[in-house]
Order: sequence, then C-alpha cells, then structure tokens
Amino acid sequence: MSSGDYYTFGLHIRSEILCPELMIHAQPGAEPEVTIRLLSQVPEVTESLEKKYYEVEPRTFRMSVGGVAHYLVEDGNRISVEPAEGATLEKIRLFLLGSAMGALLYQRGLFPLHGSAIETPWGAMIFVGPQGVGKSTLGSQFHRKGYKVLSDDVCAVTTAASVGASVMEVLPALAHFRLCTDAFERLGVPESGIFHVDKFVVPLGEGYCSHPVPLKAIHVLGNQESGDPIFEVLRGFDRVKYLLENLYRPEYLERQSTQSDLMRMAGAIAQQSAVIKVTRRRDTALIPATVDFLESAWEETFGPPRASAPKKENG
Amino acid sequence: MRSFQPGDKLSRTEKMLSTDLDQETVLMSIEAGAYYGMAGTARTIWEKLQTPMTFAALVDELVKQYAITPEACAAELQGFLGEMEREGLLHVE
Repeated sequence: MSSGDYYTFGLHIRSEILCPELMIHAQPGAEPEVTIRLLSQVPEVTESLEKKYYEVEPRTFRMSVGGVAHYLVEDGNRISVEPAEGATLEKIRLFLLGSAMGALLYQRGLFPLHGSAIETPWGAMIFVGPQGVGKSTLGSQFHRKGYKVLSDDVCAVTTAASVGASVMEVLPALAHFRLCTDAFERLGVPESGIFHVDKFVVPLGEGYCSHPVPLKAIHVLGNQESGDPIFEVLRGFDRVKYLLENLYRPEYLERQSTQSDLMRMAGAIAQQSAVIKVTRRRDTALIPATVDFLESAWEETFGPPRASAPKKENG
Repeated sequence: MRSFQPGDKLSRTEKMLSTDLDQETVLMSIEAGAYYGMAGTARTIWEKLQTPMTFAALVDELVKQYAITPEACAAELQGFLGEMEREGLLHVE
C-alpha cells in the first residue's frame, strides 16, 4: 500500500492515509516515530450515525465515529483506522488529525492546548479561549501580516518532562487553517480554501513554520461588548487553572497519574512563560487593530523585537 | 466550627493534584475542580502534613520554625485548619 511521510507536532509520521494538510517530511527514508495504518476491515457500527464514542485505557485510546471510522491509538506511536462504508477521506482525516492525534499527544507526554500558535521575534505566541472566541481568525491575521504559523486548533507544548529538554517549545503542526465563514469573507482568502464541515480550510502555502519555537506566552482570549482592548499579564495560581482549562479534549485523560503529570507540566509552563488575558471586542473589522495592539503590548512587556522581525504588509 | 484537639490526627487528602509555581504550591481538587494557592506559612503546613501527624505535633514543628508561642500557634492553626477541612483538603481522625 502507498504511504506518505509527514512531519507534524515534531514527529515523523508515516501514514497510509494521504494527508495534504500536513507538511511533507524532508527525509522520508528514516524510520518514522508514528505509523498510521488504514485497515480494510469495516468496523461494527455500535453507535448511531454521527454519535461519537471513545474509550481510554492506559496507553490505548479507541474511538468510533458513526459513518466515518473506528480509530485505535496505541503507545503514542501507532494509529489504526478502519473506515466505515462510504466514508469520505476528508471526514476520516478530520477525526484522525483532531481527536486521534490529540490522544496520541497525551500518550507521548506532551501538553496539548486547544488554540493556535504563531512564531514571532519574541518566541512562540499561543492563543487559547472558548469555542468561537476567534483563535484561528487572529492567527490567520498574523499570518497575513507575514508571521509564520506554528499550529491551528491543537498546540503541542513540550516540557522538560516530555522530551528531557530545559526549554519549552511549541511544535509545528498543520499547514492549514480552519476558519469560520465570517472571518473567511473578511480576510478575503482566495477560493483555494475548501468548505470543510463548518469551517473553511485554508492552505498556508509558505506561511507555516517548520521548526519548534521556544514558548514565550499563552494568551487567553475573551470578548467584551465595548471599550479598548485589555492586555493583562496574570500572576498567581490562576495561571495553572487557565492552562488546564484550555487543554485539548481533557476528557481523553482519565488516569490520575497522567493528570498529575499534566498538573506539574502546567506549573512548569506557567513558571517559564507568560500567561496573558486578552479581552477585546469580537468584531471581524477590528482584527487588524487587535494584531497591532498585541504587537505594541508585546514590545512593552518583552522589550524590542529581535532584528529578524517579519516583514510587514505596509512597511 | 470544630475545635481541634491536641490528639487529633491530621492528614492531607489524596484527591488533590499539585504543582509548584513561583513561591506557591497550587492545588487542584480532582472532584470539585477547584484551585487553591498555598504560599508562605500555609505552604509550610501543607508540606508538613504530607506525613500524617497530630495537631500537637504540628504545633511543635511550627514553633521550632517560627518565632511564635505554642499557644498563639495553636490558636492561629484553628482557623486555618478549619478552613482546610471545609474545603476538603484535610482529613481529621
């Protein structure tokens, strides 16, 4: 069977399901760290159509998505996919690169946050917050302004515990963005994007970052009805709470030992990077202004950017 | 409110996740999902209670470490330990 070699979340993945959303791995000959197998046997349909069902055991994660596929994630290095009859590859990949990959990241001891991340001269900046708060939209506007995108939807943060390193890094993930329709129209992205469930998928072209970047700050986005945007660097134990609240699908973790690892990682991340509350009006017309606001706030908080600042649209 | 007696055996609840951040110990209750920050003396007491001990033994330990009389220490502890117990952080036998 044909397969593709990809690079995502800092991992070399060999997949029997071709994934145009992922970066192609530069040295496909090497032994992959993760393999994705496509099994021909059709899974038993145990749940009604579209109903999601999952099961977590130590080192094993199973998920059935009615009408799509059955996924099995094991030992942080193997994913098996049994597609349902008539399932489209696009839908199979949606859950493969979302839920199944999220479970794999937990198995590998990474800290997966639900949000988007960009590379800046100060380091990696992550945006988290509730569904629909505008994480992808903000990341996409930074991308338009010349910043490179590290991740959208799931941001994997390494910690000393997960890779034996002293610096925390955000691992580069996907080479596409998923945007809500209103933001899609506002940003004027050409038709190269395709409609994908409830969001548009926009290929990033050259605009993605292909190497891990040291983590600088995590921004918790919030909305307000009116007034100027607020940038508040958090102190105290609330930081740990915000990090844990924004984990990607924490329900995939049921074992207490893993929870206590995550708690320790949250403390370590809060210790080494800034946790910042950003509150602004949720108005697509104000997205460029929010980007300018954040650039100024970063300069004020972290000092002038390094010389290699990204090129800006208007000079 | 409960009044702790010298012979009361105190222990930390097991149903907590914890991490260190700056000068604080951050606790999260697995059941309630609530967060607590322990700094300064509170942190010292939390650390000491890792080993279950009587109220009297805890007073002794703290008197060795802080410039405080046993009477004043016992009085201060009543309030703090009571609060810990109400929040489900402390187990008393």
